Amino acid sequence: MRERLQIKHVSLRYPFLLALVLLVVAMLLNLLLQPNLLELRVLNGNLRTFLPLIFVAVGQTIVILGSGIDLSIGAIVSLVTAVLVTRMSLDASAGQIVLVILLACGVGMAAGALNGFGVAWLRLPPIVTTYATAFIFSGLALWILPRPGGSMPETFARWYRQATPLGIPLGIWIAAALILAWYFLRGTRYGSNLFAVGGNAQAAYATAVPVTRVLFSTYVISGLMAALAALALTLGTSSGDPRIGEAMTLDSIVAVVLGGTRLSGGQGGIAGSILGVIILGLIRNIISFANVPSWYQTLVDALIIIIALAAPGFIQLLRRRRV
Amino acid sequence: MAENHVSLSAQHIVKRYGGVLALSDGSLEVQSGEVVALLGANGSGKSTLSKVITGVVAPNEGQLILDGQPVVFASPQGAKNRGIAVVYQELSLIPDMTVAENIWLSHQPLKWGIYVDKKAVQTGTQELIDLFAGTVQPSLQAGEPVSALPPDERQIVEILKALSLDPRLIILDEATASLDSRQVNRLFDLIENWKEQGKAIVFVSHRMDEIFRIADRAVVLRNGRTVGGAVISETDENELVNMMVGDAAAVPRRLAHQPVPAGAPIRLRLQDIHSDVLQGVSLEVHDGELLGIGGLQGQGQSNLLHAVFGDIPFTGDMTLSSAGTGGALRVHFSHPRQAMEHDIAFVPGDRGNEGLLLIRSILENIQLPSWKGYGFPLRMEAARADATQIADDLSLVRESLDAPVSSLSGGNAQKVVIGKWLLRRPKLLLLNDPTKGVDVHTKREFYNLLAELRQEGTAILFYSSDDEELLGLCDRVLVLLDGRISAELSGETLTHSQLVSASMSTGHLEAAAS
Repeated sequence: MRERLQIKHVSLRYPFLLALVLLVVAMLLNLLLQPNLLELRVLNGNLRTFLPLIFVAVGQTIVILGSGIDLSIGAIVSLVTAVLVTRMSLDASAGQIVLVILLACGVGMAAGALNGFGVAWLRLPPIVTTYATAFIFSGLALWILPRPGGSMPETFARWYRQATPLGIPLGIWIAAALILAWYFLRGTRYGSNLFAVGGNAQAAYATAVPVTRVLFSTYVISGLMAALAALALTLGTSSGDPRIGEAMTLDSIVAVVLGGTRLSGGQGGIAGSILGVIILGLIRNIISFANVPSWYQTLVDALIIIIALAAPGFIQLLRRRRV
Repeated sequence: MAENHVSLSAQHIVKRYGGVLALSDGSLEVQSGEVVALLGANGSGKSTLSKVITGVVAPNEGQLILDGQPVVFASPQGAKNRGIAVVYQELSLIPDMTVAENIWLSHQPLKWGIYVDKKAVQTGTQELIDLFAGTVQPSLQAGEPVSALPPDERQIVEILKALSLDPRLIILDEATASLDSRQVNRLFDLIENWKEQGKAIVFVSHRMDEIFRIADRAVVLRNGRTVGGAVISETDENELVNMMVGDAAAVPRRLAHQPVPAGAPIRLRLQDIHSDVLQGVSLEVHDGELLGIGGLQGQGQSNLLHAVFGDIPFTGDMTLSSAGTGGALRVHFSHPRQAMEHDIAFVPGDRGNEGLLLIRSILENIQLPSWKGYGFPLRMEAARADATQIADDLSLVRESLDAPVSSLSGGNAQKVVIGKWLLRRPKLLLLNDPTKGVDVHTKREFYNLLAELRQEGTAILFYSSDDEELLGLCDRVLVLLDGRISAELSGETLTHSQLVSASMSTGHLEAAAS
């Protein structure tokens, strides 16, 4: 009995323990196939590829912690990408760049606010709401940018691609900043309200937690994270694709689950999700370096998704059997 | 004393949920330094009245007056800001959060106006836990997740949570239900302290002995209406029970008394049944008997029926009379399928979730437990004919058998729930509060149906939260309290006041009878 409680204890405090183990395994396998993995240049490149999904997974984590889900997050990435590449002129000054970035963040948050309005105030089911709004956002993205194209100011993009402040890749700085911000948020009233709403919304309401506002805010944060992901994507490729976000929705959910956040909410955190993104990326690296035909990649993706989703339930099942 | 004086008066509160009137005229007054007990039988509106006072639900009519000013609480936040705290019976804790996080949720002490002051939370929690020191296990710590605590300690965390607000008015809603006697004593010491500090306390409870120990006044609700009050030192249990029962001394008989035929075999015998809720229940029910199970809600009645149906784990002996030999057969079901094979049927209380496939047709619902008998491929004509027979027997008002169950009224939907078992000719029928939200006319038809089933020799275990129904239908009623049978009522002792006293743990049955 005591021991089981302790397992529960540990998994509550460190929900991403499993992800850490997986990360080490994936890292070792990857190193075997790609010995230069830890060289600064390669690391920097890899992390930059992971960065957009890291943003999206962080946004998704916040929504899922509040017991929701955001199926439109990828579509918001597409929409903001379209806005960014059409509004940004090649010879933009620093001031103009800042203005366009603020506009992009505003668009992302407005899209998130629409989701939040539907879920928190109209009390619509999150899956239906965000699935529906995903079509709206995708449609808007295609309307603004009918085909891939556009560009970003070269100096800005080159800085983003090559910057390694203090010799550490930009991706690590950003991930660290996100985690720091998260641990700060976790220590505020808002943070504990978020966990309370995800843990038991009714009990939270009876305890005078502003449930509606908390739910609403999670979607706005998710929209903002999608906007930052779009910025990272466009800077990385110096162009925009109005469908670029499509695959990111599912990837973000897989990363969240891999990271130990409970899909029904109230337990988990963004550090695990960031590890989840890295695991996902490393596994894809492994597949491509192992010279596996590309359709196997889809198969492996699918297997990872199934395992990631089934593992928590499966572990519970095994534990119950043993009792 | 004057500056923190508090008075609250709820006047003629009306609350409807949809078409159901939960509270028709609820009034309550309480002020600094007194403990007011709020009393009432099942469904009398106690919980609704406390929810109105704490802003969880908004009243349809009536008015709250706090410190002489009318107030309207749009949400629990509003009541909380005015110093009203409640200790809930249905716990308001978040299982995966720690004791400290739960206690201080949404009113944590802050550093720099934004960051939760973990140190202050820690020391504050420890001070609160120390109030119950000696009555709780040392494992009750600030950092422990609530899901790891036993029920009594969760209840204490709930009390500490209300206390952490330093409220002026505390409502204790059945807060002692899961506490042991040492913990109750400690709580009562605390309540005495609160009275001296000028707090006002509303004590909702069904434990008479506790009410007489701690309360100064009592307010009694009956059928959603405040019917009276009394000063505790000037009253006794009889007077309070009579107020709760009302002067309708004789409940009209709705079904002729039908003595169980002498020598009718025992259909089911339970001996010392234990589950997480049940604390040793033994009973016998004969063929053709309608055995009532009563008591306040949540005392283990549903649990008992689920245990018999193989729905939940339990320990203890269960014996069924076996169909073929007439001899007794020891059974211990671990799946409802096994119970069904022994001709047991279960009619759940929660129709929508446990009894019906709402969007599927009447035919499919009626035939759901019986498809096995129709071969492969299914002989649909036969199935339809049998279902039509059942529907006609029950005089089910329907457009066609293919209409979805969701198109039926509540009463007719309940008929489908029962009808699906009738096809299997059950020998033992378990009814889990089956007439909740059913109209009067359908109830009458339902009672007639029960009479017919008895005639055919079906044994029926009938839990109802409606006391009058039990009195009107059954010849023998077992009253459950805290997972035990607190009384067996039949013949002379089967009266409303006996039923209410037995459900309230007065421990003075004889007194109430006189």
